[in-house]
Amino acid sequence: MARSRFGRHKKQQQTKVEASFAIEIFKDIEQNIKNLNNMLDAPDDLMTREFTIGHGEQQAAIAYIDGLVDKELLQNNILENLQNLSVEQQSEEDVEAMFDKIYQTFISINKIKKGTTLDDISNGILSGNTVFYLDGIDAVLIMDIKGGETRAIEQPITETLIRGPRTSFVESIGTNISLIRRNIRAPNLRLKTSQVGRRSKNNLVLAYVEGIVNPEIVQEVSRRLETIDLDDAPESGFIEQWIEDSFLSPFPQMMDTERPDVVSSSLLQGKVAIILDGTPFVLIAPTTLGDILKSPEDYYERWLYGTLLRVLRYIGAFLALFLPAIYISLVSFHQGLLPSKLAFSIAASREGVPFPAFVEAMLMVITMELLQEAGVRLPTPIGQTIGIVGGLVIGEAAVQAGIVSPVMLIVIALTAIAAFTTPTFSLSISLRILRFGFMFAAAFLGLYGVILVYVMINIHLVNLKSFGVPYATPFAPTMLGDMKDLVLRAPRFMLMKRPEYLQTEDEKSANKGEK
Amino acid sequence: MKWFTYADPKIDDKEIMIIVPSMLIGGGILTFPRFVADETVGSDGWIVILIGGMLTLLVAWTVAKLATMFPNQSFLSYASAIVSKPVAVILTFLLGTISMLIASYVVRNIANTAKEYLFEQTPMEVIALTFLLVVIYAISSSRIGLFRLNMLFFPFIFLITIIIMLLNIKWFDFGDLLPMFQTSFTGYIKGTGSMITSYVGLGILLFYLALADRPKRAPKMVSIGVCIVMFFYFLVFITCIGVFGHAGTANLLNPTVELAKQVEIPGGIFERAEVVFYVIWIMAIFNTTTMAFDIAVLALHSIFKKANKMTFIFILSPLIYLISMIPENLVELNHFGTFVSYVSAGTTVFVTILLLIIAKIRGMKQVE
Repeated sequence: MARSRFGRHKKQQQTKVEASFAIEIFKDIEQNIKNLNNMLDAPDDLMTREFTIGHGEQQAAIAYIDGLVDKELLQNNILENLQNLSVEQQSEEDVEAMFDKIYQTFISINKIKKGTTLDDISNGILSGNTVFYLDGIDAVLIMDIKGGETRAIEQPITETLIRGPRTSFVESIGTNISLIRRNIRAPNLRLKTSQVGRRSKNNLVLAYVEGIVNPEIVQEVSRRLETIDLDDAPESGFIEQWIEDSFLSPFPQMMDTERPDVVSSSLLQGKVAIILDGTPFVLIAPTTLGDILKSPEDYYERWLYGTLLRVLRYIGAFLALFLPAIYISLVSFHQGLLPSKLAFSIAASREGVPFPAFVEAMLMVITMELLQEAGVRLPTPIGQTIGIVGGLVIGEAAVQAGIVSPVMLIVIALTAIAAFTTPTFSLSISLRILRFGFMFAAAFLGLYGVILVYVMINIHLVNLKSFGVPYATPFAPTMLGDMKDLVLRAPRFMLMKRPEYLQTEDEKSANKGEK
Repeated sequence: MKWFTYADPKIDDKEIMIIVPSMLIGGGILTFPRFVADETVGSDGWIVILIGGMLTLLVAWTVAKLATMFPNQSFLSYASAIVSKPVAVILTFLLGTISMLIASYVVRNIANTAKEYLFEQTPMEVIALTFLLVVIYAISSSRIGLFRLNMLFFPFIFLITIIIMLLNIKWFDFGDLLPMFQTSFTGYIKGTGSMITSYVGLGILLFYLALADRPKRAPKMVSIGVCIVMFFYFLVFITCIGVFGHAGTANLLNPTVELAKQVEIPGGIFERAEVVFYVIWIMAIFNTTTMAFDIAVLALHSIFKKANKMTFIFILSPLIYLISMIPENLVELNHFGTFVSYVSAGTTVFVTILLLIIAKIRGMKQVE
């Protein structure tokens, strides 16, 4: 299942950068601080504070970047403790013993480690740690008192639900992991941290539940993650595009979500999550076509309603894809297909329209895409105005002016509404792209063209894989067991097994499944 | 620990079962009630369908038995073991060529019917070409993908056919089914003869069963597949007779499509339901074509192992297209179709029996 095209990427460059700053630390504190300043070119936000321990002669210093650390913590738990050491406490003759004592006793920070190279120091400082130097020691203490401004946990913006948890991920990876931990208290929730970005050195966490997930998936995901060679990964989209199976596919091969409940339920199904520092969007892999048409709400509501929602969503996806194309082919190729009355009324409404159906449809679809894009870019209040101006005014005026027919307007409006029922934004993008394909096919070959494009998409889908899992499963390869939770959502007591297609180590998701 | 075995290029039981109807049910279903009704009296055609089906079942079972005697071996390799390499190469080449002819026939057939039902001005050549291009796309992707496409499309085809039959109940007249058992013996023979053209394509199993996940179960699965086809044909034929009467069925060009034409969808969303029916049937015909084409590629590829799969596709595609353009009118096309069907059926039976008998004579046991 491995695709080898990732293997080729430049490994040499990585080693070159890593080897660069493995310089030892000097015993002389002045020299050390000078070195640090030289390396970072003495920026304004690099704070170095030299002081003496207690009231004695022993020189010490701390260094940190302003804005990345929690200053209150620094003041109360480090500086104050060290400066106020009484005489007898610092009577140690040996500097090394004093260093150990400070490490063990005086600094009241829970996350602290020793560093011995300039590289340790610069990495530590740049990722928000504070470094403590003691004169006469060739080592430093790297103290984690990361702080700075972060956003509070808010409601999810892109994935709103009527019923369900109201929390959403934020930009801080620590908070995000804690949100997942709060949902899954299982001891075998594994979080493997690594760093991506040669220069950004962003933290990336691969999360999975051992004992559920198929180890092959974890292996494959980690293998692909190791090949990442980027300067910077500001959004999980960078990771997604680097490790996805097919870059040519219009379909998203990983799911992105900002809902902790979606992540935790996916982990418990046997998937893996990729969490990146600095973005609220967590990636979930592997993903299949059926998965991206599911919404967590299907499970939160009772099964009848859940099933209704699912069916509606499939209809929505169908309309979003096919409706303009069907309109084009009916109007320009198969007029006879419509009931005579409807055919006449469509023909009458198209009376003054100077364009063929395809041009008419393209005009309106492009207008709709523009409106959608404009609405996203503009601040919310203006965005709504755009919707009204665009949707109502332009639509009405276009009909009045005789550029498009009212039926066309209905078709486009219905298409737009149907497209918005897609639960995942990335899928709705694919549908938008494919819609154009269908429209072209309809313009050339009518329904025959539409069905051929549909066949082509199916060909693509059955050949697509997401981390070794066939993308079209459980449709094909057919897994009857998984069909219960696909277009329909079976009652809770029938969903006692984890998805078959994930080949999990632990198949049952409830005790009742045991027989 | 479990592994992703289902992602491997192996065909599982369900897929084997579906290969048969996907291959057999192609363009033939649109026309066969006419051929059958031509030779028989009243509703006796169902006997013909049954006899044809039983023969097919026998052949399918034998083919599957032969192929599964040598599990996971390609046709060329087990044929070489039985009748020496040169003869095996000739047989492979023969089967591959026939497969190619089937593909050409189906491509032309779909272009003709599509022109009849969907288009007024679009030239038949363009319709055939676009269809062939999509087929090429399918073949140049993975082979296992074809079987998955079968799985994806078959439910649609099955459902739409059942729906058409159900919506025709209103016009169904049991009186039309009478008289029964009035056909002469020669009528049955002739009917079966023409019915066999709708059961053609089992030769692909000789090649595809090498990919079977559990070869032991293949004969059973293949037989179920043939039964599905029989059931399908039976249903369509009886409905045709019940709705159009015997004379009507015998005189309609495409009785099955006419059935769809009869349908009045409640609420009157579509006036001409046969277009929808036909469009969905394109998927069935597509499956037949891809598998026939793919077997041609597979056969050539097994002979010339070193060449790239794409090379064969590029060589065969223009050939298939050109051959499909040879028949000048419907009559010639029908002759071509009948010819291809009989040759294909004959070769499949001949090759299978030849190999089986020689294998028995040489005392070859089932290889594990």
